[in-house]
Amino acid sequence: MKLYIKYFLVIFLTTSFLSCEKFIGGEFNADPNNPATVPVSAQIPAIQIALSDVYGGDFSRFGSMMSQQVEGVARQWVAFNQYTGLTPNRFDDAWQNIYENILNEIQIAKASSSEDGFNHYLGMLQIIEGYTLMIATDVWDDMPYDDAFKGLGSTNPTYNTQADIYSKIYQLLDDGIALMEGPSGSVAPGGEDVFFGGDVNAWINAARATKSRGLLHQKDYAGAAAEAAASFASADDNWGFQYPDANSAGNWFRFNRDREGDIEFHPTMRAIMTGLNDTDRLSIMDQTFNAGDHPYMVADFFQEMITYREMQFIIAEADVRANAGMTQAGYDAMLNGIKASFVRLGLGDTEYDAYIANGSVPALGSVTLEDVMTQKYIAMFVQPEVYSDWRRTGIPALTPVSGSAVPVRWHYSSDEYLFNSNAPDETTLSIYTDRVGWNQ
Amino acid sequence: MKKNSLILVLFFCALGTMMAQRSITGNVTDETGEALIGASIIVKGTVSSGTTTDIDGAFALEVPAGSEVLIFSYTGYTTKEVTLSVSNVVNVVLVEGLVLQEAVVTALGVERSEKALGYAVQEVDGTDISRSGASNPVDALVGKAAGVQVTRASGSAGGGSRILIRGVSSMVGANQPLIVIDGVRTNNETLLSQGATSGTASSNRLMDLNPDDIETISVLKGAAATALYGTAGSTGVVLITTKKGSKKSQFDINVSQSLAFDNLTSMIDLQNVYAQGSGGNYRDPSTGASGSWGPQISELEYATDQTHPNAPTSSKAFDASGAYNFDKNGFLVPKGTGNGNAANVYNNVDPFFKTAVSNTTSIAMSGGGETATFRLSASNLTSDGVVTNNTYDRKTVKLASTINPFDGFTISGSVNYTKSDYQRVQQGSNTSGLLLGMLRTPVSFDNANGFDALDAFDEVSAYQFPNSTQRNYRGGGGYDNPYWITNNALGYEEVNRTFGNTKFDYKVNNWLGFGLNIGYDITSDSRKQVFEIGSRTNASGAISHDEFNTKQFDTYFNILGSGDISESFSLNYVAGVNVFSFNNHQTTVDATGLVFPGFLDISNSTSLSSFENETRFRSVGFFGQVEGNYDNMLYLTVSARQDYDSRLGDPTNFDLSKTGFFYPSASVAFVFSELMNTTNSSAFSFGKLRLSFAQVGAPPPNAYSTQSVFVSPSIGDGWGDNITFPISGVSGFDQSSLLGNNELTPELSTTLEAGLDLRFFNGKLGLDVTAYQRKTKDAILNASLTPSTGYTNVWLNSGEMTSTGVEITLNATPIQTRDFSWNTQLNFTKSKSVVDKLAPGIERLFLAGFNSAGSYLVEGNEYGAIFGGAYLRAEAGTATDTDLNIPGGAVVINDDPNSNEYGYQAVDPSQRAIGNPNPDFILGWNNTLNYKRFSLNFLLDWREGGDLWNGTAWALSFFGRSQLTADTREEAPTPIEGVLQSDGSVNTIPVVRDQSYWTSSLGGFGAVGEQFVQDGGWIRLRELGLSYRFPAFKMVKGGSFGISGRNLWYKSDYDGIDPETSLTGAGNGQGFDYFNMPGTRTVIFKLSLNF
Repeated sequence: MKLYIKYFLVIFLTTSFLSCEKFIGGEFNADPNNPATVPVSAQIPAIQIALSDVYGGDFSRFGSMMSQQVEGVARQWVAFNQYTGLTPNRFDDAWQNIYENILNEIQIAKASSSEDGFNHYLGMLQIIEGYTLMIATDVWDDMPYDDAFKGLGSTNPTYNTQADIYSKIYQLLDDGIALMEGPSGSVAPGGEDVFFGGDVNAWINAARATKSRGLLHQKDYAGAAAEAAASFASADDNWGFQYPDANSAGNWFRFNRDREGDIEFHPTMRAIMTGLNDTDRLSIMDQTFNAGDHPYMVADFFQEMITYREMQFIIAEADVRANAGMTQAGYDAMLNGIKASFVRLGLGDTEYDAYIANGSVPALGSVTLEDVMTQKYIAMFVQPEVYSDWRRTGIPALTPVSGSAVPVRWHYSSDEYLFNSNAPDETTLSIYTDRVGWNQ
Repeated sequence: MKKNSLILVLFFCALGTMMAQRSITGNVTDETGEALIGASIIVKGTVSSGTTTDIDGAFALEVPAGSEVLIFSYTGYTTKEVTLSVSNVVNVVLVEGLVLQEAVVTALGVERSEKALGYAVQEVDGTDISRSGASNPVDALVGKAAGVQVTRASGSAGGGSRILIRGVSSMVGANQPLIVIDGVRTNNETLLSQGATSGTASSNRLMDLNPDDIETISVLKGAAATALYGTAGSTGVVLITTKKGSKKSQFDINVSQSLAFDNLTSMIDLQNVYAQGSGGNYRDPSTGASGSWGPQISELEYATDQTHPNAPTSSKAFDASGAYNFDKNGFLVPKGTGNGNAANVYNNVDPFFKTAVSNTTSIAMSGGGETATFRLSASNLTSDGVVTNNTYDRKTVKLASTINPFDGFTISGSVNYTKSDYQRVQQGSNTSGLLLGMLRTPVSFDNANGFDALDAFDEVSAYQFPNSTQRNYRGGGGYDNPYWITNNALGYEEVNRTFGNTKFDYKVNNWLGFGLNIGYDITSDSRKQVFEIGSRTNASGAISHDEFNTKQFDTYFNILGSGDISESFSLNYVAGVNVFSFNNHQTTVDATGLVFPGFLDISNSTSLSSFENETRFRSVGFFGQVEGNYDNMLYLTVSARQDYDSRLGDPTNFDLSKTGFFYPSASVAFVFSELMNTTNSSAFSFGKLRLSFAQVGAPPPNAYSTQSVFVSPSIGDGWGDNITFPISGVSGFDQSSLLGNNELTPELSTTLEAGLDLRFFNGKLGLDVTAYQRKTKDAILNASLTPSTGYTNVWLNSGEMTSTGVEITLNATPIQTRDFSWNTQLNFTKSKSVVDKLAPGIERLFLAGFNSAGSYLVEGNEYGAIFGGAYLRAEAGTATDTDLNIPGGAVVINDDPNSNEYGYQAVDPSQRAIGNPNPDFILGWNNTLNYKRFSLNFLLDWREGGDLWNGTAWALSFFGRSQLTADTREEAPTPIEGVLQSDGSVNTIPVVRDQSYWTSSLGGFGAVGEQFVQDGGWIRLRELGLSYRFPAFKMVKGGSFGISGRNLWYKSDYDGIDPETSLTGAGNGQGFDYFNMPGTRTVIFKLSLNF
């Protein structure tokens, strides 16, 4: 009996030990719910829609609030409107979207496209990356890049200066254009490219438009105008994302639906447009910010990333800066921009002609920078770029809602202050005075 | 015990009823002649022949022919054997003897003499669980064992509770103890369908166990006590033994019926003076105004004439016939300009809640003989919440049985089936949260639209206009009308669960026995949350269908034995293997964009999305334990366990050795009273010193932490709803924000425990003191990374934490006479866990909560410290500023004349530790007084300290709804105490804390959370009960009738609802009250009959 038990025990323990490895090992701890690798084509929609959504979300709301196109009137948005609520944690979502949901994804997707020789994917990703870096550095100035995206390899990423970031942006855009002009490699982008459906020329134009915006920020007006002219030929070329419906609605629509009453149209913009008898466009913009009611902030919103009308205004601005009173070409560009804005708002030639006829747009020869920028301010309603324009030009003149200054930049995310020892000192950084590189 | 005396004289016939018998009668008394009630008498050599003494100490027993010896025993007294003589009358005097011969259930269900234990174990008797009246076994444990902390999440019917033993032991992993029922692990999870701070209340799954089925609960507290359970026991173990029927009885039936009434204990103090509006001006509901910053309601009266200059102008205000939509009395205008009917002050809160009724019927049949026992029980609970349409029903059936087919071999097992049905109401931080909209409603608006509060639930016109839009105080915006919620935003949940075990024990001889225990626990939890079209959370309507299937299997194979090596040295051992597997599979279908109202089925939606999630892990453990006993004086126990856990495995490069971890434990019990010459009459009767050491490892809190994965992201920024793939027909994936880490090692904690157990006056007074220290290192933390690393989180072996605690139990029987006895027990618990270290560069880790106040792990602070916005202090930024805690010095006052917050407290740009949600100590005082057939018990529950962030008060200050805002807006302008920011001089800027103040950074939704952190401690009368045991009559062998109350009274400094509340329920981050459902008080009537 005892002998039998001894054998039994030895066999039992040995088998349990051997089967232990089988029982808990192998792929058992591989996540059955989520893949460990995905093809680049599966990453593209997530990157693109995340970019569209952050641009039409935090960037648009904070940008147009500080530019006084919209005002926060209820709950947290009252404090944001008065700037006091613009504490670092308010920028956490934007920072995370930019870095974690867009830029880091781009690094992974670039690596796999590069490895697979998918040149058009790589080119497209570089253009998107250049664009993303630009919208980010325009509000955050210096930011981690070379030392970023390393996970545990570098938990306190060091910062690149804005000038450095800008040179990387141009490099990415130029390389992207060059790749797009070359062969695609074995697999080319298609329907998963929700911006352009894999249209190579559209991407090249978009890259030039982005470059134009950057050169404008950096005060290279002629360069900006040249890139602008070489980019979009009409509003049909606009870079943007078409949100499909109320279930996947545009960011403003979702905000107005779920945070109804928090933000409304701003009296400053109302006064500017009223002063210019801009009644038709005003009647569309100046509605209660209510999902379903607002005629512009609709569910199936076309979220513009960069547009033909912005390019036309860049041409106009460069022209008016170079030529007192403007040349015909610049003037035409401005009118193209204004007209594109009417069309974007669902208005037609009738309303546009009536607006031009009422004399609010000065005649060629007497156009000032202020006129151009004011028209751009109106035409670019809730486009984040308005905030850059205002910071560059001070047009339109804004009275701070509280205190003595309108913020000229964003705080870094509170995550950066908390978890990155290389982040600037939160207590000395001022959102009122520490202008971003190109704005100094 | 004397309470057993309620079982009156019972005759247990021996198996051979044909045999000749003789009747023995007699009395059992103690040395003073007092009758001993409930003393046990059995016929030696049988297991089924026996009886107990009645209330007079008398007994009568049929003794089979051939039996000659009766055994008399009584707890606390020396057992006596009496050989029968010719006389049929036997009177016996029992002498008080040493206590502590009692066996307690320890790890793996091994019964050990309490005397032998080198660590703290506390048993709670099933009758105390049953008597508490709680339908959730976890709630029933409050105050009954030192070291145990129970928090009920809310007063919702079907809401769960959180239990902790010795506070927290894991920094971010599960902290609730392992629940073991009849030797196998049982699921006590709390599954959330929505976020931790929103959604409905959730259950803890131990609620599926009928408390009346519990025989005893043994609480294993420290690591030495739980070492044999491996990693799973690192948070303490609650060992539940269920009733299985007795070999002594042949057939018993117990039927009980209870009826309970619940109502709300408390509500936050609301103002009822100021009407809806802003800046002192009235704004009617059609304007959507959110606040109650209007004029005094006594300055308003009704008008119905639309041409009135103050008539609302919004198209929402009037219907086609010109009648005002928001009040049948008309709209409000300044007094003297309307129809002279003064404005009503509507109470939208108190009348909304009803007295809830719940009903429990249970029946149990049990019996047994020489070779088998069985117990079959069934129960039915139907309960209402205090909110109409909140219900909880539970049906349980349990069969337990043991069989001895031949000597030494036992098969035992139990099967439980439980069906629970819940109907739940949205709560917490969401625009469909019941109290969120209710408490914000101004007193000038009637949510019930003129109907009687309890009738309005059935009156659609109370909460909805004919065009199907909602009637609420913000003209359709804002929040759901509470009546709308209880009709249109309900959660339905059905849980079907079966659990049980089968156990084989074979004893070859004293030195060798085998045990195999196979346990299973299978739960299916099906949930459907609906939001009708027009919900403020899901405007186009939504249905969310969740199916959770949880399966766990737990198998133990043991070899065990014991015996004497020599006269004074004995040994026992156990060794074995444990195999465990867990699998939870969730399938969710979310349907949005409903086509038409009134049909809440996913086929009525325009957009469907679905996902599935499987959580699985397995572990294998090898364990062994040896206990040596020298002369019943010195006991030494040594144990070891080696666990292998799949959660440490790297799927791409698996290495078994990296998944394994070893832990040893040792404990010593030294019964020093054995060295002393203690006699039965001496005051000091027993003394024991305990010492133990144990090291415990824990796997990562989640499966699959070793590899980075891609997920289908949800896109958005936290303001509007996020959007999810597929979007426009394409799917997308992105790398999860959680970085995988294949370098993880187990988290290790080392516990040292010392205890002293002293008994006096033959056990009538007992004192048990335990102190421990637990050091955790390599804690696996979900460390934050700044997103510029590409990720936001990573599981990292990085944390260190030290927990210390003291537990004191004092037992006393100050009075024990024939008719009257008083037993009292004090359970004192103090535990403190301080975070020593977090991940490199990481100052704090978020557990739960809000921006203005969240629960975090912060170095140097207690576990879960509440971190949030604070007032700026004079010493901020100076050398004394630790950067974590609120700096010293006076509050700094903003004196920038251009600021909107001129004269208010300045805001500290850094968030600070503004509260500690952990109680300083917990004291339970449990008393039972018996007088003849009456029994009175009460339990006082004192929780000292433990902060709560009063988010309800925070939000209501913004809306001007709290009484505080009514008081402060009337104050004369006074400077706020503090010093000026510009020059440090004493503040002299007079301000009124009015709308401007409470809607600034200092009020609701502002950055500062400090002023709303309040002491959440309490003293409460947790239980109070009076019962009467009636004697046998006719068929009825006995029974009882009792009236008891739970939570009848409490006292607290907390300025809100009953502070026994937790928005985050069972989660690790605690200390939040945000429109939580207040707790309830319960009165229970219970009738129990034995046949």
